[in-house]
Amino acid sequence: MSLGEYVVRRLLQLVPISLGVTILVFFLIHLVPGDPARTILGNQATTARVALLRHAWGLDRPLPVQYLKFMGRLFHGDLGTSLFYSVGAGRLVLQRLPVTLWLIGFGALLAVVIAVPLSALAATYRDRLPDHVVRAVPLVGLGFPPFWLGIVLLLTFALNLGRLFPVGGYGHGFAGHLHSMFLPALTVALGIAPILIRSLRAGLLEVLESDYVTTARSKGLPERRVLVRHALRNAIVSTVCVLGVNIGYLVGGTLVIEQVYAVPGIGQLMINSIFERDFPVVQAVTLVFSVMVVLVYLATDVAHALLDPRVRFD
Amino acid sequence: MKARRSLPFLALAGCAALGLTAATALGAGHARHAAMPKRGGSITIARIEDSQSFDKTNVFQNESIWLTEQINETLYTAAKDGKTLIPWLATGYTMSKDGLTYTFTLRKGVKFSNGQPMTSADVKFSIDDARAQSKGWGYLDAAIKNITAPDPGTVVFHLKRRWAPFLADIGLFANGIIPKNFAGQTRAAFYKHPIGTGPFMWDKRTVGQSVTFKRNPYYWQKGKPYLDSVTWTFVTDENTRELQLRGGQIQIDEFPPFNSISKLQNTSGVTMSLFPSTRTDYLDINESYAPLADVHVRRAISLAIDRNAIIKSVLFGHGTPANSFLPPQVPFYDPKTPGLQYNIAQAKAEMAKSKYPKGFKVTLLVGAGAQVETAMGQILQQSLKQLGIDVTFHQEDTSTEFNDIGKRKYQLGFSYWTMDIADPDELVTFAIDPAGGASSFYTGYDNPAVVKLSHEAQVQPDPAKRAALYSQLAKQAANDAFLGFLYYSPYRWAYSSKVHGFFVEPLGNYHLEDVWLG
Repeated sequence: MSLGEYVVRRLLQLVPISLGVTILVFFLIHLVPGDPARTILGNQATTARVALLRHAWGLDRPLPVQYLKFMGRLFHGDLGTSLFYSVGAGRLVLQRLPVTLWLIGFGALLAVVIAVPLSALAATYRDRLPDHVVRAVPLVGLGFPPFWLGIVLLLTFALNLGRLFPVGGYGHGFAGHLHSMFLPALTVALGIAPILIRSLRAGLLEVLESDYVTTARSKGLPERRVLVRHALRNAIVSTVCVLGVNIGYLVGGTLVIEQVYAVPGIGQLMINSIFERDFPVVQAVTLVFSVMVVLVYLATDVAHALLDPRVRFD
Repeated sequence: MKARRSLPFLALAGCAALGLTAATALGAGHARHAAMPKRGGSITIARIEDSQSFDKTNVFQNESIWLTEQINETLYTAAKDGKTLIPWLATGYTMSKDGLTYTFTLRKGVKFSNGQPMTSADVKFSIDDARAQSKGWGYLDAAIKNITAPDPGTVVFHLKRRWAPFLADIGLFANGIIPKNFAGQTRAAFYKHPIGTGPFMWDKRTVGQSVTFKRNPYYWQKGKPYLDSVTWTFVTDENTRELQLRGGQIQIDEFPPFNSISKLQNTSGVTMSLFPSTRTDYLDINESYAPLADVHVRRAISLAIDRNAIIKSVLFGHGTPANSFLPPQVPFYDPKTPGLQYNIAQAKAEMAKSKYPKGFKVTLLVGAGAQVETAMGQILQQSLKQLGIDVTFHQEDTSTEFNDIGKRKYQLGFSYWTMDIADPDELVTFAIDPAGGASSFYTGYDNPAVVKLSHEAQVQPDPAKRAALYSQLAKQAANDAFLGFLYYSPYRWAYSSKVHGFFVEPLGNYHLEDVWLG
C-alpha cells in the first residue's frame, strides 16, 4: 500500500474511534456522581429549582434518549451548548485549541532544539565529562514537577531578572504569543527533552559505529559533516517516534502548565468542565482530544516513513 | 565675638527652618495631591473563577454577580456597613400605613449606557421580569402583587402582605434596572452584553479568559467613574495571581490564600486588605442519621469544636469564632447569642445525657483536594475522639460533595454562606425553615417554634421588635445546635498600592466607580 492510501485508511479509522470515544465518555460522565444544576445553583439549589434547570437542559430524560439527541446534533456538526456558559461547546473548544496547539508545538520545537545538539555533544564525547553532564543535568527536568518548575521560571524570568517575560497569559498577535508562551513551552520542553536526549544519544552511538560512517570518515569528511549529514539523519528515526508518543501524552497533559501560566488552553477547559459537570463541553473536548491523538500518531508514522525508506505499509 | 559665633548657628537654624517649612509644604501639597482622585487608567482584576453569565436574574455565582453590579443598579442599595439601605436610583420612598404599598421617587437625570433616560416603565419592566424567573431569584420578590408606574418619575409596588425585608429585596442585584423590553433585543441577546445605568458598560468578553467593561459616559454620578476600563481575568492558580500582582500585570488579586496574607502585607507596592464579610462557615449536621438527631449529641459536637485552633491553623489567625448562624455584618445580629463554644467538659456532659453516651461512628464529607476542609476535619476528628465519636473522612470531588450535601446523602459536612441582601430573612428562611427549599440548610432541622419566630419577623415593621424576634430565634437555634457554627472570616483582597478607593462591602460587592489609579 502506498503512503497516500495508508494515510486515507488511517483517517477513515478516525470515524469509529471518535464514535467509540463519544459513547464511552457520554455514559461515563453522566454516571459520575454530581449534578451540574446543583453546582450552578450553589446554595440556592432547592429541589424545585434543580428540577426546573435539569428539565430546561433535558437532563431529566432517560440517558439513551439524551445520547440519541447528542448524536443527532453531532451529525449536524453541533457539539451542544455549555451548561455553564450557555455558549456552543464547539465554539469554546475551537477558541482554546490554538492555545494548546501553540503550547504543544512550541514545547516540542524547544525540546528538539535542546535535545539535538546536547545528544550530539554527548555522543561525540562518549563517556567523557560532556557526556556525563548531558546525561545527568536534563534529568532535573524529569525530576521536578511541572508545577514547581513553572513557578520557579516565572519567579526568575518574569519577576526578578528584569521581567523578561509576562507572568502567564497568552498575549496578542504572533509576537505576543511567542513572548508569552516561551516560558510555558520551555516547561513542556524540559519535561520531554531528557527522554529525547537519551533516545537520540543511543541512536547516534549505534549509527556512529556503522560501516558507512567509517567510510565517510575515511574519505576525509569533517566530523561535523559526518555527524549532521550521515549519522543524525539515521539516528533520529526512533527519536521521532519517541517524540510523537510524548506529544500524544501532551494532548490533555498540559493542564498543570496551563493552570500555572494562566494559559487558556483546552486542558484547563477540560478540568473545569469536569468539576462543573458541564457534559457537552467534556464530550466536545474528549472528541477533539481523540482526534488530535490519532492525527499526532499518524503524523509520527508518516514522518517515520519519510525518514526511513525501508518502512512499508500493510 | 558672641555675635560672630552665633551667626553661623543662626544661619544653620534658618536654613533648617526653611527646609522644614518647604518639606512640610511639599508634603502637604503631595498629601493633598495624593488624596484627589485622578481620571483615567485601566485596571485588571484576577479572580479564581470565570463569570458564568450576566443574566442577573438567573445567576447565583459571585464572580458573575459582582460584575453585573457594575452595569446594573438598584433603586436602593446596601451601604458600606452592609446593614443599612441607602437610596440609589430612587431618592426616597413612602410606605402606606398598612405596609402594603411602597411608592418610590426615581432619581432625576439617570440614563442608561445607551443614552436612553431611565423611567418608571423601565423599573416596572425590570422587576416584573426578575420576579418571573422561577429558576432564578424570582422567589425573593414573591411578596410583590403588582407594580404600577403612574408617571415617569414614580413607581409603586403593591404587596400581597406586609413584608419587612421588602426594601432589602428590592436592593438585590437581580432587581437591577434595565431598559424596557430589553432595549429592543431578545432576552438572550440582551444578557450577552447587558445595558444598565451603572458606572461601567459592556465592552468585550473572551469566554473562559477575560471580561472588559468600559466607562459609562452617561453615568449619573458626575465625574465618576474615574477609571477608563476594568478587565477581569480568570487565573485559577493563587501563586500565579500573586506573581502577576507583584509584576504589575494585574492590579487586584481576588482572594489570596490565608497563608500568604502576612507575606503580602509586607510586600512593597502591595496593599493587603481584610474586609469584614458576611461569610460564615458551618459544620453541617444531618439529622437523618439517628445519633445526630439527638440534640445532646449535636450540642456535644458543637461544644467540642476548637474554633480557635481552626482559626489559627486554617485561617492563620484571620477570623473570629462564630456564636450564631447569623454573621455580625447582618442586621439584627445579636452578639449575645449563646452559640456553644469550645468546652470539652461540657461536651462530655452533653454526651452523657444523650442516647449515645459511649459514642458512635460517623463519616465526615470532605472535598478532595480541599485543604481547608481537610485541616478542619483533622482538628474536629481529634476533638470528637474525646467524646467517643469516631470520625472517618469520606472524600469526594467538590461537585459530588456539593451534590451529596444538597441531597442530604451525608452525615457531617462543611458549608458556608454569604449574604445577598442586607436583611437576615434570606439566610434565616434557608437555614431554619424546612419549607425554605433546602431542608433547613440540608440538615433536616425542624423546630416549629423557631419557624414561627421567623414568620413573625417577616411581617414585623418595628425594627426593635424585629430585632427581639431574631435574637430569640438565634438563641433557640444555637441551643438546638442544628449547625456547628465554626467561624466568621474576612474577604481577602490584595491590590497594587497605586489603586485607591477600593472597598469591598460585607455583601462582597465593590463599587468600582470610586476606584482610581494614583
